Amino acid sequence: MSSAPHLVIIGNGVAGNRAAEILREKDKDCRISIISAGPLLFYNRYELPDVFKGRQDWRDYLENPPEYFSDNNITLRRRSIVADVDTERRKLVLAHREEVGFDQLLVATGGAGYLPERLQETASLTHQFTTYRSAMKMYKALPKGGRVVMLGGDMIGLDLARTLIETGYQVTVVPGDRTFWPHEISAEDRPKYLAALETMGIEVINHGEVERIEDTSGGATARRVVFVSGETVSADVVVTQYGLAPMVDFMSTAGVDIERGLLVNPQLKTTRDEIYAAGDVCQIWEQESNGYRFYYGWRNVRKMGEISARNMMGADVPFETEVDEQLIIKDDGSIDSPFWEYSA
Amino acid sequence: MTINGTDLQIAFCGSAGDGTIAVGDILKQAMAMAGYRVIAFDQYPAEIRGFGKCVSRTRVTGEQVYSMKQQTDILVSLDDSHAIPHASEVRDFGAVIYDNAPMSLMMEGEHISGHLQPGQIPYALPIREISERATGSNRGRNMVALGFVAGLYGLQQDVFHTIIARKFKTKPAAVTKDNTAAFDAGFDLGAGEFLFDEVSIGAPPAKAKHEARMLSGNSAVVEGCLDAGIEAYFGYPITPATTIMERLVTEMPKRGKRALQTEDEISAIAATIGAGYAGVRSATATSGPGLALMAEMLGLSVMAEVPSVIFVSQRGGPSTGMPTKTEQSDLNLAVFGGSGDAQRIVLAPTNVEGCWRCAGKAFEMAERYQTPVIVLLDLYLSNRYETVIVSPDERFEASSSKAMVPAKSGEKYQRFAKTDDGISPRAIPGQAGGIHTVTGLEHNDLGRPSDQANIHMDMSEKRHNKLSKAVDHPGITITKRFGDEGDVEVGILAWGSTFGESLEAMMLARDEGIKCAAMKVVMMSPLPEQPISEFMDSANEVLLPELNYEGQFAGIVSGTLGRPVNRLNMVPGTPMRVDDILNEIRRLAGREAKDAA
Repeated sequence: MSSAPHLVIIGNGVAGNRAAEILREKDKDCRISIISAGPLLFYNRYELPDVFKGRQDWRDYLENPPEYFSDNNITLRRRSIVADVDTERRKLVLAHREEVGFDQLLVATGGAGYLPERLQETASLTHQFTTYRSAMKMYKALPKGGRVVMLGGDMIGLDLARTLIETGYQVTVVPGDRTFWPHEISAEDRPKYLAALETMGIEVINHGEVERIEDTSGGATARRVVFVSGETVSADVVVTQYGLAPMVDFMSTAGVDIERGLLVNPQLKTTRDEIYAAGDVCQIWEQESNGYRFYYGWRNVRKMGEISARNMMGADVPFETEVDEQLIIKDDGSIDSPFWEYSA
Repeated sequence: MTINGTDLQIAFCGSAGDGTIAVGDILKQAMAMAGYRVIAFDQYPAEIRGFGKCVSRTRVTGEQVYSMKQQTDILVSLDDSHAIPHASEVRDFGAVIYDNAPMSLMMEGEHISGHLQPGQIPYALPIREISERATGSNRGRNMVALGFVAGLYGLQQDVFHTIIARKFKTKPAAVTKDNTAAFDAGFDLGAGEFLFDEVSIGAPPAKAKHEARMLSGNSAVVEGCLDAGIEAYFGYPITPATTIMERLVTEMPKRGKRALQTEDEISAIAATIGAGYAGVRSATATSGPGLALMAEMLGLSVMAEVPSVIFVSQRGGPSTGMPTKTEQSDLNLAVFGGSGDAQRIVLAPTNVEGCWRCAGKAFEMAERYQTPVIVLLDLYLSNRYETVIVSPDERFEASSSKAMVPAKSGEKYQRFAKTDDGISPRAIPGQAGGIHTVTGLEHNDLGRPSDQANIHMDMSEKRHNKLSKAVDHPGITITKRFGDEGDVEVGILAWGSTFGESLEAMMLARDEGIKCAAMKVVMMSPLPEQPISEFMDSANEVLLPELNYEGQFAGIVSGTLGRPVNRLNMVPGTPMRVDDILNEIRRLAGREAKDAA
């Protein structure tokens, strides 16, 4: 094994890959490993709605070709789940019972689709739209021109809804308290944004709380959403879009502070010197509010990847957002969000 | 190069005792039953169990091919310590399937997931746990993995059930049940898995006119022997020829014939020649070290003009060498081995069907030309499996011997008479009027010993010239040209198992715009000079790849025809790589060589 420092990144998304890029720029000799639970190379999740436009080969979504990782001497370990972090021995214990040593660690695992507890029992009857695999699964389940009922309606889901409408599908949003997440919308402003959705061709219904999802595969449509009020809505596909929940369970014994996400200082360092965090998984200290907060969106996350890498290399750069988090209504009546911005 | 929509290579890699070879066998049998063409080659250690690496590779195609692909499409690891060195063989966007819940804690780098190339697609599944759930034991890991492959790629589950039942039919019913349960558990998991890699399997080719059979080179030899009506077999076990004897010992008694294990190779060939002298179709099989022991008796078969058939499967040498590794380094021994001018016929099949045909034809030739015939295989050909389709109408001659014509009154029977066709009439001992002498000494027409100069020169010429007829023996292709017609930039002369890789390299070179042809040579002795000469005339450069150090066939060709050839020799113990041949073609054609994958 090489004596060069081993810098391990957990997470194969925007933050992790940007960090790897910067780390390699700064140090040609260090060992860099990216540990990913998924099976694929780093791909552009922001473009996944394009599967409904016929772009269905996952390789079309790759941010870098396979040789990029070889050329930059970045080890990519896919289908590898970190079960535990032993900070005393500086070892990761992978779920397949292999130990991997590290000198510095960057946690960039992002978030998993959040699902309210009441819906977890019927999760198998609903879709999430978080990975290429889940996108294709939903595509295959949805007949041409079919109806999608979207529960929640976060900004990832609404981006999907735009494409579904464009490509001839019908979308019904069942709003909830995380509609427009991660935007924080006041009760006063909420009606105008919901109206904007209808302007975009999205049906918005408000029958109150969802009680259950039923499998009606033998009927005209595959699913039925039953509300507490007793009303029902039928759909070919039910997709849940309630925002993201940080993936931090494996860090529970690592000796770092965790609230909802990993708590980091503006330099993105956790409460341990050798462990950094970036992206949707971390809450960053904000002097102004005297508290920790999340920053979302491609631009923020990418910048966090960059800042964390520079600081791991000895810099002392604080993270500052450049994103105006305002949800706007355009002249044509549709909505637009900075969280939909990305650069391929 | 696309082969009728399907060209898929699957490798299972494990430790001896993991069931790696067994599961590869089920795969190839199932794919053949489903109608695909298959070539498969297993590598295993010299040790019996608990050590060493086993690799079972199966290539499934729409049309029959005769070489393994350089890059594997799917690698299944049953033991990461053995599979890790093979991970790099998997092509970009190919699949690597492995256990994500092994029993013991691993140090960094001991799990295969850390060795995958970025372009490869990992499929991680709890193979051991699934086996334990399905069967109560982890011994079904291989079947879980096979089932996963079948489910993932949509292969026919019922065909596998049939093959599993057939494979374990002699075992207690619980063995079939457990293996099927493990297979099905893996199948269900695979069927529900998302297919990320670009592997796809087209429909099988149209049903062949005749039954397709899955045979190894050695089993094809056995089938050829049985189809030719072998009556007596004598042998002494030696890798990689042993399975010939094992199957004949089982099959011949069913037909009222005899197979006998002798005390050594010398007695095996001696008994073979004795049986041949008695008019019985007989054979022996061995490897290089055994052939070295048989060399003296081979001379007797030549001198006494007694038919004998010797199957030789080459392995790494010299001496005990590398018993489980392939090589083509016994050619000189086969063609020249022994004392004196001991001409004989040497056939070297290039594929499994050729093993069947050469085996049967060897008996015809041995009888017709009253000579030893050596059929030269190698470990790669002996152990590899191919789908073989042979018309049931294709038969071997029941007897090819030129029978003795009863002598006129007062004349003595001349066993070694010079005749117009060069073949002497042959009497079987006990035949009325057929009394003659047989000896290893030089002899006259009657067989009586003589060292007169003119007799020795005449008889040497007779023994030599009679074999020249063998190049026109009916029903066997002794040379065949493939690829571009007319003048070419590079012509490849190839023999034995290396021809398959040569053919694939030739096709790839043509895809690159290189004018190229390949000729397979099946008859190594006597050398078919005319077609080889014509082939060499048509090529700017002649390449002769072979798995020996010095270039033994290159030496024979150059020495006989007085023409230079470009030699490509290596002795890695494994089949020659297509890329190595292709790069040499490129070099000879003035193109730039490329890095091997």
